[in-house]
Amino acid sequence: MSTNDPEKLEASIHRLLRSIPDRRAPASLEARVLGELSRRAALPWWRKSYAYWPSAVRATFFVGSALAAALIVSGLFVLARTTGATALAGGVAERFSWLVLAREIAASASDRLRTLIGAIPTLWLYGTAGAIAICYATLAAIGAAAYRTLTFVRQNP
Amino acid sequence: MNDEPPVQNQNSGPAPTADFTTFMRKYQNMVFTTSARLVKNDAQAEDISQDVFIKAYEHFEMLSSSPAAGGWLKTVATNLSLNHLQRYRNRWRFFSELGGRDDAEGEDSPAVEFAAPDTFFEGVDADERRAWVDEALAKLPDHQRVPLVLYHFEDIPYDQIASRLGVSLAKVKTDILRARAALAKILSRGGESLAPLSH
Repeated sequence: MSTNDPEKLEASIHRLLRSIPDRRAPASLEARVLGELSRRAALPWWRKSYAYWPSAVRATFFVGSALAAALIVSGLFVLARTTGATALAGGVAERFSWLVLAREIAASASDRLRTLIGAIPTLWLYGTAGAIAICYATLAAIGAAAYRTLTFVRQNP
Repeated sequence: MNDEPPVQNQNSGPAPTADFTTFMRKYQNMVFTTSARLVKNDAQAEDISQDVFIKAYEHFEMLSSSPAAGGWLKTVATNLSLNHLQRYRNRWRFFSELGGRDDAEGEDSPAVEFAAPDTFFEGVDADERRAWVDEALAKLPDHQRVPLVLYHFEDIPYDQIASRLGVSLAKVKTDILRARAALAKILSRGGESLAPLSH
């Protein structure tokens, strides 16, 4: 029988592949699985994920987290309403005043760069972009050729 | 991606039971074979099989009484194997497939008459036949072997394979077509040396 016919080839390959038996799993697999399960079972609850915590602990943790969140929010609210908060905000703003200076420097550099690029002829810009694209493509082609060559050598020593 | 088919409960039991050991012995060859055919590496297949059975243990209460346990295990093994391949081989896909037609022996190569692959091994011991086929499968490039295995061993349709592998439907069909031709060619070469055994 010839396998030039794709449909016959498909049926033939399918019959062949489905006829082969499973491989035997390594003898070490069972011991590895049982060992890992025993190791996990021996862990205390606090070293397992939340889903495995005892129900009482999970409930306590949930209520405690909610209380902590409420305390933090209400604490921030109270702090914001006190007079000391304004002084604190002023202190923080003064400490980070360098950020304002950095933003001004960046804006100035950006303006100068834009002016510089505007002064360059468009043809030069396209030429440079084209050269970069060619270099990138060349590098990718060399990498692909090297990879395929090395892979072929490794598979066919 | 969620690797596990939907389940209802989880087992955080203290230690593996004898039932689970029996369950594992029943399915470990199937799980290991499924993984090994996809990742083509026994050590990695064993790691993946271990993960599959640990997930199975977490759902053992459901699986132990389910007639679909084998399918569940096979699905998880397939998903974990594909995740493994995608995690470690994505970076090489571009290079390995760029202009890569030399490994695609198949529809574009001159038609060669060779016997149907399933007739090569008539009268040959099943284990020996499996070894020949596994060796031939291992010679296929990943982008042909993986869809071929998913289609013929796992019965996954073309469109789902394309979706799962993140490639076009046309590419999946072409890769599987070429994989079949390449596999038949490899087996026919092997079959010539095997022929005396089958008579």
